[in-house]
Amino acid sequence: MNQAIEVFSPNRVISKQTVRWMVGFQLLLLFFIWAFSPTVFLPKPKEVFQALGEMWEEGLGGELITSFVLNLEAIALATLLSLGMAYLTVIPFFRPIVTLLSKLRFLSMVGLTFFFTLMASTGHTLKLYLLVFSVSVFFVTGMAEVVASIPKGEFDLARTLRMNEWRVVYEVVILGQADKAFEVLRQNAAMGWMMLTMVEGISRSEGGVGAMLLNQNKHFQLNAVFAIQLTILLLGLAQDYGIGLLREVFCPYADLTLERK
Amino acid sequence: MVSYTYGKTLLKVDDVSLEYDGRPILKHVTAEIKDIICTDHVQGQVVGFLGPSGIGKTQLFRIIAGLNKPTSGRVTINGLDRPVQAGEVGVVSQDYPLFAHRTVMSNLMLAANQKEKDERTARAKVVQYLTEFDLLDKASLYPVQLSGGQRQRCAIIQQILCSEHFLLMDEPFSGLDLLMLEKTSELIQKVANMDDLNTIIVVTHDITAAAAVSDHLWLMGRDHDAKGNPLPGSHIVETYDLIERDLCWHPQIITQPRFVDFVREVKERFRSL
Repeated sequence: MNQAIEVFSPNRVISKQTVRWMVGFQLLLLFFIWAFSPTVFLPKPKEVFQALGEMWEEGLGGELITSFVLNLEAIALATLLSLGMAYLTVIPFFRPIVTLLSKLRFLSMVGLTFFFTLMASTGHTLKLYLLVFSVSVFFVTGMAEVVASIPKGEFDLARTLRMNEWRVVYEVVILGQADKAFEVLRQNAAMGWMMLTMVEGISRSEGGVGAMLLNQNKHFQLNAVFAIQLTILLLGLAQDYGIGLLREVFCPYADLTLERK
Repeated sequence: MVSYTYGKTLLKVDDVSLEYDGRPILKHVTAEIKDIICTDHVQGQVVGFLGPSGIGKTQLFRIIAGLNKPTSGRVTINGLDRPVQAGEVGVVSQDYPLFAHRTVMSNLMLAANQKEKDERTARAKVVQYLTEFDLLDKASLYPVQLSGGQRQRCAIIQQILCSEHFLLMDEPFSGLDLLMLEKTSELIQKVANMDDLNTIIVVTHDITAAAAVSDHLWLMGRDHDAKGNPLPGSHIVETYDLIERDLCWHPQIITQPRFVDFVREVKERFRSL
């Protein structure tokens, strides 16, 4: 009873066991609402799982691998580029350039696609460029903000330990902000999956789960659309968990002061 | 009274002035710390640096640490003919800074390796300090897992390992209860007396605590015009030699009436600034 009161009280830290029960209950409730929803257009769980089986036989697994590899490549490249650009903001010359890059996040892909097409030799490269661009403009914004918000005291500490300015950058900006870099990566890697549908819709040469999703949507096959979305969601959750795990392994200090761990 | 002599100048603040946007903050600040030599025991130097809020203590603190450059004048150490450089004077700020992403051992090794290139010697030195300061069992913890006192000791060790026997402490007595205040005073004395050349400058508002641990006091303030208005630009208006007055190196000195009188004298001067 006390546990039940606790889960509805503000700022309470609840046990892992209670979390398991609570999440289990919420998932069950969600499934129940889904299964018995009166909305006509919302496919029922049975229909979605049936469609999932059919899609799997039609090659959903292979398409998932294609998309996953593309997304992984894009995330790796975007991470390298964005971290590099964000770290370069320690040099005044690069600050306006990075600010300009971060402003590009307001742009739509329309029109820009033409230029990327001219630069890319294959469909895969085009999709890669588009994804890297879309993710990087957000990633670089988040990470540049992390770098800009480092307190002066941390730089001073490094300097009092006789570090030259490059070593200060390595210790304070790169190593010292690694936990935050993982967090920014986590958010932007999730965004990669959202962009994937759009990008695979622009160039369908390799197929991919995004192209498959758009095809099904075009023919209003909502059962199949939901089945593919469910697969993307599960894959995204696994990716999110994986990045979180890496953060825990490499930055075990990150959550030590949090109330909710 | 303990017999002592003064040796060479360890730290010299030489006519330091600082201006921001043409506004003078520090004006011709001059002070020096000499090596105190006691033949029968190891005796480091402790200077209490006092002054009202907003007087420019932090600015001078940063200049002495080599973190900021003055507009004119310079700070030199150990008789070297060049301004002090960052890293030569250790700094322990009020929040006891340590790298949050490194463990206690890693934080200290980072500092030790800056001066001692041999890994094994550096590690031995770190372990020796950790043992000395009762922190050996905390070596694998991260800074956020330490108590305030442990963090303070760790920050002090880190700076001692790296600096040239100089340590600047910013408000080490701030917000401490009586017990912790006594412990911090003991810690300052302990660090100072680990080596003849160890020199600690304690920046504080707490006149009694500063007088209890110091051998000299610097009082920073501004001059006033005929109407009593403060003139821009601070400098050290008073220097107190507590050794000369036989007010330091005595246990329980704070209970002595002459110490209480001295603190009253400093407080009155402080109020006039």
